[in-house]
Amino acid sequence: MAINRREFIAGLIGAPALVRLTRKAPPQIAGGFVDDGMKAGHALRDGTGAPTPRERQRVAVAIVGGGISGLSAAWELDRRGLHDFVVLELAADAGGNARSGANEVSAYPWAAHYIPVPGPRATLVRELFEELGVLRDGDWEERYLCFSPQERLFMHGEWHAGLEPEFAMSLGDREQFRRFGELVASHRASGEFTIPSALGMVRASPLDRISMQAWLRQHGFTSPRLLWYAEYACRDDYGASLSQTSAWAGIHYFASREVDEQGPLTWPEGNGWITKRLLAKLGHHVETSAPVLRARHEGGRWRLTTPTTVYDADAIIWAVPAFVAPYVVDELRGERHQTSFVYSPWLTANLTLDRWPAEHGIEPAWDNVIYDSPGLGYVVATHQSLRTFQDRTVWTYYHSFAELTPEQARRELLTRDWAYWRDRILDDLARAHPDIRDCVSRIDVLRLGHAMIRPTVGFLTATERAQPRKLSRFFRAHSDQSGLSLFEEAQYHGVMAAREAMAVVGGRLSVAGSR
Amino acid sequence: MACRSPVARRLSPIAHVSVALFISVLAIAACGLIYELVASALASYLLGDSVLQFSTVIGTYLFAMGVGSWLSRYLARGLVARFIGIELLVGIIGGFSSTLLFLAFAYTTAFRLVLYALVVMIGILVGLEIPLLMRILRDRFGFREVVSNVLTFDYLGALAASLAFPILLVPKLGLVRSAMLFGIVNAAIALWSTFLFANLLGARRSMRAACAGVLATLVIGMTQAKRITTIAEDNIYSDEVIFSRDTRYQHIVLTAWKDDLRLFLNSHLQFSSRDEYRYHEALVHPGLAALPGARRVLVLGGGDGLAVREILKYPNVESVTLVDLDPEMTRLFASHPLLTKLNGGSLTSPRVHLVNADAFVWLDGNTDVFDFAVVDFPDPNNYAVGKLYTAAFYRALERHVSRGGFFVVQSTSPLFARQSFWSIVETLKRAGLTTYPYHVYVPSFGEWGFTLAAAPEAPHYSPPAILPAPLRYLSAPEVAQMFTFPRDMQPVAVEPNRLNDQVLVRYYEKEFDAINR
Repeated sequence: MAINRREFIAGLIGAPALVRLTRKAPPQIAGGFVDDGMKAGHALRDGTGAPTPRERQRVAVAIVGGGISGLSAAWELDRRGLHDFVVLELAADAGGNARSGANEVSAYPWAAHYIPVPGPRATLVRELFEELGVLRDGDWEERYLCFSPQERLFMHGEWHAGLEPEFAMSLGDREQFRRFGELVASHRASGEFTIPSALGMVRASPLDRISMQAWLRQHGFTSPRLLWYAEYACRDDYGASLSQTSAWAGIHYFASREVDEQGPLTWPEGNGWITKRLLAKLGHHVETSAPVLRARHEGGRWRLTTPTTVYDADAIIWAVPAFVAPYVVDELRGERHQTSFVYSPWLTANLTLDRWPAEHGIEPAWDNVIYDSPGLGYVVATHQSLRTFQDRTVWTYYHSFAELTPEQARRELLTRDWAYWRDRILDDLARAHPDIRDCVSRIDVLRLGHAMIRPTVGFLTATERAQPRKLSRFFRAHSDQSGLSLFEEAQYHGVMAAREAMAVVGGRLSVAGSR
Repeated sequence: MACRSPVARRLSPIAHVSVALFISVLAIAACGLIYELVASALASYLLGDSVLQFSTVIGTYLFAMGVGSWLSRYLARGLVARFIGIELLVGIIGGFSSTLLFLAFAYTTAFRLVLYALVVMIGILVGLEIPLLMRILRDRFGFREVVSNVLTFDYLGALAASLAFPILLVPKLGLVRSAMLFGIVNAAIALWSTFLFANLLGARRSMRAACAGVLATLVIGMTQAKRITTIAEDNIYSDEVIFSRDTRYQHIVLTAWKDDLRLFLNSHLQFSSRDEYRYHEALVHPGLAALPGARRVLVLGGGDGLAVREILKYPNVESVTLVDLDPEMTRLFASHPLLTKLNGGSLTSPRVHLVNADAFVWLDGNTDVFDFAVVDFPDPNNYAVGKLYTAAFYRALERHVSRGGFFVVQSTSPLFARQSFWSIVETLKRAGLTTYPYHVYVPSFGEWGFTLAAAPEAPHYSPPAILPAPLRYLSAPEVAQMFTFPRDMQPVAVEPNRLNDQVLVRYYEKEFDAINR
């Protein structure tokens, strides 16, 4: 950069003038927990709150869950000409893990915040993106691709470009990274690691039977940096440690992505942008704050009860996690507590910064990771802004609880107060930004007790995944069927469930739009 | 312990007094090391080559300490008074060492001489401290104990200082105030010693007054550090600073020397009034003179009003919209008498509409159409400004250019930043535009480049035969020649700049690093 020495000095001697010598009382930081649907979810579990629905409604398809799988099912039904459906969402806003928020500074994500540029096999994602103007004549719209600089890593007191801990790597580290890259490349070439994963799966992979940790050990990977990097990937995509993740899933993270990816695709509000666009088109089908309290099969139809309405549906698309079903669906009540599906708890927080904190190294990137931190780092919501100058910003901070069992982590989430998380988050960020407390004016925290499916060892061959209990006119759409909590999986399973549903309720197509 | 002197008997070694003494050894050692680090760091920043600077400064400093230690043999009587005097000298010289060095760099050509003179002086004084202190303490403790304790605390202090310097002092206080802070520590120890060794001291009152004087000077220095940095800044810009302001967006500095007025934004030269006409005539006329029917013109950046001055030479132009981020910039260039003289009061012309907005967001937010647009942004030296040099930006801009119109982009130097220049051209092509790159020589900048861009369906551009009057540099034959590039500026294979892959910022950084040694 064209900074000359004189300019550097000017900054060096000028900067201290801005730093107060004596520290005043730290500024007040506002914020709290945001509504996470925990109350409504637990009411479902406990069967509390007897409903007195007053209305009855007849629909061809009832989609339970308004996350990406549910909305994708709706998208598919709609574009195939079936308009007689309803999407029932427990929370006050649809979107699930693709929810977002906004304040006077920026829109920001609450969970999922990007999509890797879809490969040629992710045809459904490409179709959606063509519809939304993200893909035009084979070109990805530049302003939806993640801007430079994309990633940086804080290590040894300084920010470095990229996420691989390349700074001051030993010869041995380099050699192991190279060998790891080769192994990943050969797995990529096998064609078994695809997104959506169902397309590449010709047989149950033997890699499903060992953990990622065991696989790395078997292949002689000992470099602490490589192990950190691999574990970061598992914590980031599955909320799990190396020992809790199957080698299949651990390798899938690396081998399913294109080598020369120019992305990822992202928006200030993360995948919430897609939710907004889908809702703009399909929102009139969506009922929010409408938990399905009970579903039962009666006289060839499904009867679904929400607090206000009873729906009679020819088919159900189940677009909420599998563990909820035994609490709601009469026919599955016997399966409570039998599930082998493990769900990773998460905590996300949106921090509003009134100014940028001090730091060393390269410019702020979109994804900012602190090496050897228990957190996953933060994403800058204003990074995708076209502005050249921004004095305020919003950071989305992510923490998965790979160091605890899911039960321990959920207990933490339930018992700790907001001030505890505020301090934990700020302590973590202070490692890279010592004056972070003077910059932040607000921290909103979202607790997600069951944020995502965890692809544990043996997940692919678990009976409930391989042979889930078949129910008549009941189609599973949630991404937990794939073990990978990814937008592409949710969309794929949502669309596939919609197609199956259409096959059985096809007769009602003639009355499409009667609702 | 054997009592060897009456002094010791009178004082009787109490534990806490001795701890206090050794802590002052620690502080003295820390001070000594800080001055050495301040001098080394400053020399590295100002002269470059940190290995050489650290090595020579530390070597000189240690040698001078040796000289000091050797000289200590010649100090025989009144050891405490001498020690206090030395502390005060170290405090004042060391405390103001970084200030003196900055000023020496700014005002003299003898920076190295001042640097090594200061290092030698401080080194000798610091070299005197420990032997003197050991001799003072020898009367209180056993020799074995004194040597062991003094050296232990000496090295501990060195460790503390060497850790605090990079982690706390430089980031929090900066070099000027760090040195002063440790000057205060030295002076405080001197003052404290007047009480600690009160029995061994004659002129206590005058000693204390001297200590207070030095302390006060250093404290005032600390509070005035900002002013010192301003004085230094005046000289970082070689001419007299006539205006300096930190706006929300940037640091604006205007300098003047005789008839040469210069504008710096964040310390980067934007123009010199002696030759800016070359730049601005070349920026505007090759494009605008070729559009005799142009009525509406857009200027992005260029809050100095100099491009607007050129545009207003066309009677056919009915309105000029100037979009600049910084309202302070446009206000300054619309009101300061020297500047309105330079831009001919262009910013207050009734034909000109000022908009203070971020250019990309402004383009996205309205549908106005212009016959000609001038893009005059600072060079792409960071990712934020780099967004304004992307294919996405040029596509957004093209939507605001009328059919048959075009726009011109200041494209940095095709000679010093050849890859950067051609990357900008490549980016415009990537946005689907037809490009006509050209260049001009501006003495204060060097060879400078511009690119005209037009929609592919627009008629082919040909240089104008008639130019408006009055011009100081351009003539029609001159314009035609600007489109040929000599061998050392011809196209190179480069990538276009994209929001998701800002290669341009990396090219630019690499190329300017190569010439900014």
